[in-house]
Amino acid sequence: MEIPYIVEPRKDTGLNNSKIGIWLFLASEVMLFGGLFSGYIFLRIYADYPWPERTLPVLPGLINTFVLIGSSITVVFAWVSLKLREWRKFQIYMAITIICAALFMVLKGVEYNAKFNHQAIRLDDYTVIEGHAHPQGEHGEHAADDGHTEHAEASHDPHGPKKNLNITAESLQINLRRVDDIYYETLGIQYTEGNFVLADDVTLSDGSDLKKGTTISKEVIDQAKEDFLDAIANNSEIDIWANREAWKAVRKALPGKRYWEKDVKELLAKEIKEFKDGREDDYLIAVPALTFVPSSGHAEISVLPGWGKLSNPKQGEKGSLKLKDQTVITGITADSSITMNVDGIDFRHTVMKADERGIDPTAAINNSWLLKHENMKSLWEKHKLITAKLAEVLKEKDRKPSDNDIYRINWQEIAYIQGVAIEDLEKMSHEDIIGNYPGDLEGIAGPVHRKHKDYGNEEARGVEYPAITVPREQVRFESVFSPRWNTYYATYFTITGLHGLHVIAGALVLGYYLFFGRKMYDENPEWLANRVEVGGLFWHFVDLVWIFLFPILYLM
Amino acid sequence: MADSPEAIKKHIKLYILIGATLFACTVLTVAVAKLEFLDFGERGFDHVDATIGLLIALFKAALVALIFMHLNSEKKMVYMLFGLGLILAFCLMAITGFAFSDPIYYKDFFGR
Repeated sequence: MEIPYIVEPRKDTGLNNSKIGIWLFLASEVMLFGGLFSGYIFLRIYADYPWPERTLPVLPGLINTFVLIGSSITVVFAWVSLKLREWRKFQIYMAITIICAALFMVLKGVEYNAKFNHQAIRLDDYTVIEGHAHPQGEHGEHAADDGHTEHAEASHDPHGPKKNLNITAESLQINLRRVDDIYYETLGIQYTEGNFVLADDVTLSDGSDLKKGTTISKEVIDQAKEDFLDAIANNSEIDIWANREAWKAVRKALPGKRYWEKDVKELLAKEIKEFKDGREDDYLIAVPALTFVPSSGHAEISVLPGWGKLSNPKQGEKGSLKLKDQTVITGITADSSITMNVDGIDFRHTVMKADERGIDPTAAINNSWLLKHENMKSLWEKHKLITAKLAEVLKEKDRKPSDNDIYRINWQEIAYIQGVAIEDLEKMSHEDIIGNYPGDLEGIAGPVHRKHKDYGNEEARGVEYPAITVPREQVRFESVFSPRWNTYYATYFTITGLHGLHVIAGALVLGYYLFFGRKMYDENPEWLANRVEVGGLFWHFVDLVWIFLFPILYLM
Repeated sequence: MADSPEAIKKHIKLYILIGATLFACTVLTVAVAKLEFLDFGERGFDHVDATIGLLIALFKAALVALIFMHLNSEKKMVYMLFGLGLILAFCLMAITGFAFSDPIYYKDFFGR
């Protein structure tokens, strides 16, 4: 069947059908991205934390803007070439467009990868520290407060677990209603290694016994879970029956009365009790949980931080670890601290909270947990000196340092000042100091951190930032720079991710014209020209969205 | 919209000029955000920077839409379709402003 109006315009609209189609689609796209931008504006205006202004590395965003603008030009020239019937030129321009799309996605990947490997911690006093967390060794790992990291016990696997919740378990209670297969299958190895056995004899509703000392296994849990679910189903059935019969009896005894009247309520309660008592023997004993204990008295359990919460995060104290599937592991909290090399310190949230509470922000910063560490205190003192120098420079222009200048120490600053004595900094001008910071190209997607990724590899290049060990009780919230960290990163990943999918889709369509368009061109060159124009319109729209995304996400 | 080969040839220089303007505007956007002497308003990011940044972005978007997407000489139907989408998107953004009247932001709401 021949599709009508693919080249010549319709008389009523003056356009060919494919053009109408693409503009309808673009109108819906405007509303889609408009909705996402609205979400961004809303979240930013009402954020209850200092918005991370200008924290993304600008260089990859800038290169990507150039790449997309360049590809917008080449796609226009590809269309022009077809209109002028120059097939070879069309191929070249279209190939450049697709290479640009690939380059855009590669840079996006580099940027995302840097974010997913970059750790952030909001401390209990709202100080935010950023850096690269060390892989957790067999028994955790420790960094001395003087800034030197002990490498001995650390794992050399950069992808290994970084900050697990650890507990020396004395008992393990599995909630049979909520127990999750994924949790059990993952942690089951640790339960088996810890040789967990049933703490007491348990008689199930079907009359079978689980003997004390039975080794933990999925089969035992599945059997008990099935029995529990059967028992509560049976008991609920009796309850529902008792309620129904009681209502029948009440309606008969008190016709015309409404359910909120006192005598109805009293009679109903009495009837329900009687009906239930009458079937007392039909009720089954439902066992809601199984308790296991390690046969040696204690066993080490290590859980990914997103999987649960420690009731008492202080090392060496009694507490429990409650998993999201309601499994409760009771015991002594083991070392669950996070060791990381700090490449960013942000006191803006601390100051915001101090203001809210009417506390002097300077006092709040000076009393913060972080500044109790000599290496961090030294960084802060140096930063204060640099800010004072900046204030002097700005005073001449009748300006003042911003909150970002005063309360945030970024990675370029730490990379330089950590190795310079404060006395030397005092002698330098502000311009000289910042002239020594690493350039944007050096940390194209963020802090130079290779040394930390290749942990333990002395040959690895990069900056070794000062290390600190954060005990778990000081951690209010921790995450890598993923959508989980805050609403800024949630919107950043949502919008740029969706935009990236558009780039891929656009490249696939344009690639189809490049590699399979020859037949269409030979048949009717104007047909392919129209197709490329339509694909090009979509590509320009992708560029148009990025024109707004770049300043909003990277520069504001 | 230019459709004949002769008319299209005439537009090639315009496309290059628009491309160069877009590159230049991108550099300007970064310069306004990064360079001290181009930082208007208070130091660091503020509403002045936001306004300037968005105006440049708007100018760039207008160039792409008008020249590359040929919206400067399109048929009425295209303006109607795309215009409706734009109007609805702006309405959506304006709706977020209503959040200001949400009682949850009143100081004494729930005794906060």
